[in-house]
Amino acid sequence: MKTLFIRKKDWVNFLKGKLQKGRIYAPFEFEDKLFYSSVSQENLEEIVYNKVRPVEPIKIFLYPFKERVVPEIDEVEEIIVMGATSCDVRGIEILDKVFMEGDYVDLNYKKRREKLFIISFDCQQPYPTCLCEKFGIHPYPEKNFDINISKLGEGFIVEIGSEKGEEFVGNDQRFFEVTEEQKKKRDVLRKEVSKKVQENNKEFDFENINERMKELYETEIWRKPPEVENCVACGSCTANCPTCVCFLLEDTGAENLFKKMKVWDSCLYPGYAKMASGATPRPTLYERYGNRFLCKYSYMVSNFGILGCTGCGRCITGCIGKIDKRKVITEVLKQKV
Amino acid sequence: MGENKNIYEPVKCEVLEVIEESPTIKTVVLKPEKVFTFLAGQFASLTVPGVGEAPFTPSSSPFDKEKLEFTVMKVGKVTEKIHQLKKGDIVGVRGPYGRPYPLDMFKGKEILLVGGGVGLAPIRALFLALVETAKDYKKIVFCCGAKTPQDYIYKNQLFGDWQKLCDKIPLSFRITVDKKDKNWKYMEGVVTVTLDNLDMDIKNSFVAVCGPPIMMKFTTLKLLEIGFTPEQIYLSMERKMYCGVGHCRHCLIGDLFVCKDGPVFTYAEIKDKPNIWV
Repeated sequence: MKTLFIRKKDWVNFLKGKLQKGRIYAPFEFEDKLFYSSVSQENLEEIVYNKVRPVEPIKIFLYPFKERVVPEIDEVEEIIVMGATSCDVRGIEILDKVFMEGDYVDLNYKKRREKLFIISFDCQQPYPTCLCEKFGIHPYPEKNFDINISKLGEGFIVEIGSEKGEEFVGNDQRFFEVTEEQKKKRDVLRKEVSKKVQENNKEFDFENINERMKELYETEIWRKPPEVENCVACGSCTANCPTCVCFLLEDTGAENLFKKMKVWDSCLYPGYAKMASGATPRPTLYERYGNRFLCKYSYMVSNFGILGCTGCGRCITGCIGKIDKRKVITEVLKQKV
Repeated sequence: MGENKNIYEPVKCEVLEVIEESPTIKTVVLKPEKVFTFLAGQFASLTVPGVGEAPFTPSSSPFDKEKLEFTVMKVGKVTEKIHQLKKGDIVGVRGPYGRPYPLDMFKGKEILLVGGGVGLAPIRALFLALVETAKDYKKIVFCCGAKTPQDYIYKNQLFGDWQKLCDKIPLSFRITVDKKDKNWKYMEGVVTVTLDNLDMDIKNSFVAVCGPPIMMKFTTLKLLEIGFTPEQIYLSMERKMYCGVGHCRHCLIGDLFVCKDGPVFTYAEIKDKPNIWV
């Protein structure tokens, strides 16, 4: 697919045109953090490009906190979401496997997914908690986007990633063929960011995490996993996670009315797996805490063939117990079977 | 699976009858508004509109295309409402989900059924399926247990019609209660007593077990002791479940979905997974 270059001023005007046709969401800065917000003619120039991942994962546009599943929802409008970083588009790859690519298709998800146009961004200022490189994911998207943007000087390198992306750009004369020189500069910058993420994580050991986690099933380490005493089971790690998919179903209509809602759930909550009898396979916090690690780094691999962690680090930054899972994992993997 | 079908949309069913089986267990007989078929061992999700939804394995014969039965113990919010259902009420059913008993593999073998308490419900569906094609199986031994004689479900069938079948097909019953009363003429003791002195060719047998976790655990241990291999023992597992289709992840036993990979598992498949006897 093509890679193009556009000057920032031209891009803003190009986007203005797109704004006439539908809703656009993009990252904006608020108290040093990035949050997704609706783009308007007024705030168009305040969009923050190529900084870091926003606070919310792009999951929220595909899989809202609470939605109706019976009766099924109407068709949804096409939306453009700008600013997902490499970790987050990887998250979508996992959500697709869960909700669309198995034997059963979640209609709400499919409707939203088909109407989502993804403009991903290179990450150029990763947080110290970012760990994508630990899983061989680079801080610049290589797939799972319609177009990807890399800021370079006074313009953007625009990489087309899909047919929809190609249509989006069309034959607009404001886009130029990218020069080898520009591409080279982008790649140098990308390498620098990659290296920075690697440097930030060099003390942590994630080597062969899937295989090693599996070997540690049912071993003593899970009787008192590192830092479990700081976990208050708030569920922040699961809510912020780009790949946590767990939900419950709730019948909320009036009696005799078939109305069902789907609501996010968290495996950290004591009631998560509790059956009507009151029995639960994970009655203690240490079991629920351990379960999240096992789910991400082992169960998801065996269920979907892909690691359930994208290295975004939101479960670290969002943890009110200040648990750094990188330390937990490093500690856990030190165990000899 | 149709890609544009809403997986959560239930088939509406009319309640035809509610049968009181025991002080805590009722069977609801439903007439689905369109044909609803399942295989023995598969489960379905039953919705009481406005109240909630819970997964159950149908207890009726998979060969009965007219109606669908669920035998339900009152333990929580949804089951309490199910117990209050009356003739003419409308409920929803979606499914069937999961992996059924491998009847093809059972062919030509001796089959041992072990059911405890309300766990007799899924075993009943399997039993009725086996009976329908009884000539395919060498022998059927049906072991069942309950706390007291009053706690038995399917009393009319178990102590009546089903036993009459023993004259026509190679079928036998071994029935026990934890605590008998003066009229009881069968065994006394927990369900594992029915496994003593089994007249079966264990090497050429399969066994299906369903009941409370503690019963399944001790039954499994006893079966292993008398010579069954983990691969011959089929357990019907239960977990908290919402979606039924492998999305919501509540029912995972380790990396296995009870809804999709089960609910019927061999002991070999699950014995090394965390906390199986819950």
